[in-house]
Amino acid sequence: MALIPQLLIGIGAISAVTTVLAIIMVIADATIANYGDVQIKINDDKEVTIEGGRPLLSSLMEEKIFIPSACGGRGSCGLCKVKVTSDVGDYLPTELPWISEEEKAENIRLSCQLKLKKDIAIQIPDELFNVREYECEVASLVDLTYDIKQVNLHLREPSEIKFKAGQYVQFQVPEYELTSESIYRAYSMASQPSRINEVELEIRLIPNGICTTYVFEHLKEGDTVTINGPYGDFHLHETDARIIFIAGGSGNAPVKSMLYNMLETNSPRETLYFFGARAVRDLFLVDEMKELESKLANFRYIPALSEPLPEDNWKGETGLITDVLDRHITSGENTEAYLCGSPGMIDAAIAVLTKNGIHEDNIYYDKFA
Amino acid sequence: MGVDPMKQTVQMREIQEKMKPGVITRDGFLGTDSRNLIDILTADDDKVKRLNLTHTQIAQRMRELRDAGKKGLGNFVSVAPHFEIRVDMVRGKLACPFGHPGLIQKTNVQVRNLESNRDITFTDMHIHMVGDHGFYEGKGSPFRLEVRDLIDILEIELPEE
Repeated sequence: MALIPQLLIGIGAISAVTTVLAIIMVIADATIANYGDVQIKINDDKEVTIEGGRPLLSSLMEEKIFIPSACGGRGSCGLCKVKVTSDVGDYLPTELPWISEEEKAENIRLSCQLKLKKDIAIQIPDELFNVREYECEVASLVDLTYDIKQVNLHLREPSEIKFKAGQYVQFQVPEYELTSESIYRAYSMASQPSRINEVELEIRLIPNGICTTYVFEHLKEGDTVTINGPYGDFHLHETDARIIFIAGGSGNAPVKSMLYNMLETNSPRETLYFFGARAVRDLFLVDEMKELESKLANFRYIPALSEPLPEDNWKGETGLITDVLDRHITSGENTEAYLCGSPGMIDAAIAVLTKNGIHEDNIYYDKFA
Repeated sequence: MGVDPMKQTVQMREIQEKMKPGVITRDGFLGTDSRNLIDILTADDDKVKRLNLTHTQIAQRMRELRDAGKKGLGNFVSVAPHFEIRVDMVRGKLACPFGHPGLIQKTNVQVRNLESNRDITFTDMHIHMVGDHGFYEGKGSPFRLEVRDLIDILEIELPEE
């Protein structure tokens, strides 16, 4: 019988110890892990105060300052680099694979990995202040091919976007069956800068792709989506050089934007556009490109099919786009090349272009990787 | 009839932690598999050994088909005797959860076997994890590769017994 009171005393003692430990943990969490307010000084000019302890990337995003990122802050894209001009400690193991020796010398850091524990000073390109977050409505969805969709977004708030033809935006995918949190994916804008109230994207379906599966299987006209941008250095340079565009698949998007911009600015520049596809079913907007041939001063569209089917009755260029390019380019004099597509295509195209006398400094590209 | 779970080393436990969702990739590499990593590896290793194959041989075939598909420059291309393969990349690179140095490109390889009318998709990360670590991802992972599917669809020749 004496056992029962002893048991009760034992249980009471354990409960008391557990309660005390829990209180200690709450106090520790509120004090030790609490870095208080942290100040971020940007370009020796702008200052923002944020709650410390969180990554620089997400802290800036909450202040509506958007650093490019294609992986949602997981340290797997290397895009969110920022120059830090104050002492923030040694590089983290998760940063090192992305930072070159030259970048280390300039104290370039990966903003998604850098947790803010004290005040920090950073330098970011001025153009990032032009980046905004836009609430949009899906105006239309058009199947360009069996695996490429044109997504037309009408901007609600803000209602206007300023960008250079060739730049890209980040498209936010909300939570749905394939993801338990929202993520961002980068897509080049196919619309030209004069279309200030809308953004047009060309999205290619990738097997098990989080964003592309969402776009192809769930997105509907009238839906609200969020994008942020514009980003990127890929744009036409203002010279009088002949232009060679090379693209495949959804790499058409920035080229289309540049072509329409050239049309609206009455550009007289000689332009060749080599578009690589496999068969006729992989081609799209062919009529639109033919129309641009008649409207632009000196533009030629050259689609090339690597494996046309017999029923395609294809009379145009055949072979890999790089082989077709090699047949057509005989001189690199006063020529610039703009490439957009898979890294494999870009690397192969660069080899052909340099072989034909186009200097590497005059070759510009947006490798999707 | 089950197999007693093996004791897992501290190092293996750390690797398993890196494979969880949100560490290297959004989904992680383990799916809904509740087994220890050592048991996942052992089970797949047994499957491969029973077929008199090695993980290196399987990875080698994946690599061969990937390299053949690269000629398509991002589009599908025919590869003898009856495959269609597309090799494409998306932005970003990934670290190996096993701690291999360097980063691995996010490359997607889609292989269609026109004879069996089956297809399979794998990545450069898969080629590395299969070949170097014998890891095919956990059960329930949307990106798990089944040994038998790889053998059948990629037509990996089984050695004579």
